[in-house]
Amino acid sequence: MAKLNFEFRKRLDAIIDGDHHNYCYQCGACVADCPAARYSPDFNPRQIMLLALLGQEEALIGENSPIWLCTNCYTCYERCPQDVRPIEVIIALKNIASGGKRAPGILEQIQKSVNEQGRTVAWSPLVDRRRKELGLEPVKPVPVEEIQKLLEE
Amino acid sequence: MRYAPFYGCMISLKYPQFEAAVRKTCPALGMELVDLEGFSCCPDPIYFKAGDKMIWLTLAARNLCIAEEAGLDIITMCSGCTATLSEAHHILEEDPGLRDEVNIRLKKVGKEYKGEISVRHIVTVLRDDVGLEKVAASVTRPLDDLVVAIHYGCHLLKPSKIMRVDDPNQPTILEDLTRLVGATPVVHSENLLCCGKACISDEMPAEMTRDILDGIAQVNADCMGLICPTCFDEFDLGQLRLSRRFHRKFNIPVVYYFQLLGLAQGLSPRDMGLHMHKIKVHPLLEKLGLPTA
Repeated sequence: MAKLNFEFRKRLDAIIDGDHHNYCYQCGACVADCPAARYSPDFNPRQIMLLALLGQEEALIGENSPIWLCTNCYTCYERCPQDVRPIEVIIALKNIASGGKRAPGILEQIQKSVNEQGRTVAWSPLVDRRRKELGLEPVKPVPVEEIQKLLEE
Repeated sequence: MRYAPFYGCMISLKYPQFEAAVRKTCPALGMELVDLEGFSCCPDPIYFKAGDKMIWLTLAARNLCIAEEAGLDIITMCSGCTATLSEAHHILEEDPGLRDEVNIRLKKVGKEYKGEISVRHIVTVLRDDVGLEKVAASVTRPLDDLVVAIHYGCHLLKPSKIMRVDDPNQPTILEDLTRLVGATPVVHSENLLCCGKACISDEMPAEMTRDILDGIAQVNADCMGLICPTCFDEFDLGQLRLSRRFHRKFNIPVVYYFQLLGLAQGLSPRDMGLHMHKIKVHPLLEKLGLPTA
């Protein structure tokens, strides 16, 4: 049996809504309507909350972590009688994985896009041509320097 | 009725036909949309938020500040932007500690979040501010005989205590709005299933989307009606991917609610950008007796 890892739980507690994992009493209400659980035997939000309570860092943010299968649908948030907000705990776990460079590449791509352009969808001349065809003005510029200042720690 | 529209990245850059549909249908509803300068990405509630929630909250708060400075409520038409901006607004209202921390960060760009405006999804503005009668009164060409399979998408409804749009288990708002344009909404067997777009897997979203489309095929709808550009991406372009993956033809036209409203207000399919969709909408235009070019 793995040892409880309180240090990892403290890191989770420090992130917005990460501390809500402490309220979980393992009822399983989050599982019944979870689409990821319906489509994948590898995903079970109740199990993820249990791993969080045990502070199982490797299982939660390691290479084979199931957290990336979450579809972000918020049904678990809706169903939970304890206000655990499993989806928000999972996003908090993703923050830890991202901080430790253990997240899928798409996270860094999106961060780079927001950092450099202030947007997640890249602008190209085609964008404004299609907008013009619809009678729309070109896309408004984003003050990227302001965004970059806010991204600095 | 003046509002600050927040179109977001997906709609402004990838699916501008939805922006055109909103802009062209709102005047007849008595809504004035005031374009503000300086908005960035909401930011993205999936991958950007997964990177760092505190930075996500700070950038969202910056967008809220821009509307606050103009004294206007934000209206959103992308469910992702709604998720981010409504949740950020909720957190900043409920958690004074986080609000202070965000404001320390915003000071670097000369902004301060005060909490003076609201974030509203545009469908709630139609229902609660404009009123359903007035939406119906804007219709000059009812879309008789058109059968629309409604798909809600997740972030319009959940978490319901933050979104406050409709009952997340038995929503009716999109059916109600669809009836107003003269069309017949139908409920399909997977109408509340997630499109899966936000899941980092190829297989799961493909199976979810397939099951939703199969549910729609059983109710003989002319098209799928939705309100979320991310769902649209998964169902429009997505059907081409699905046809390849499952070796069978998926071919259900997908329409954004405001495009239906525009057609019913007498605007042309071209005005609504319907020719930009990957799954051709010709069958439904023919049924409505509208030009397909």
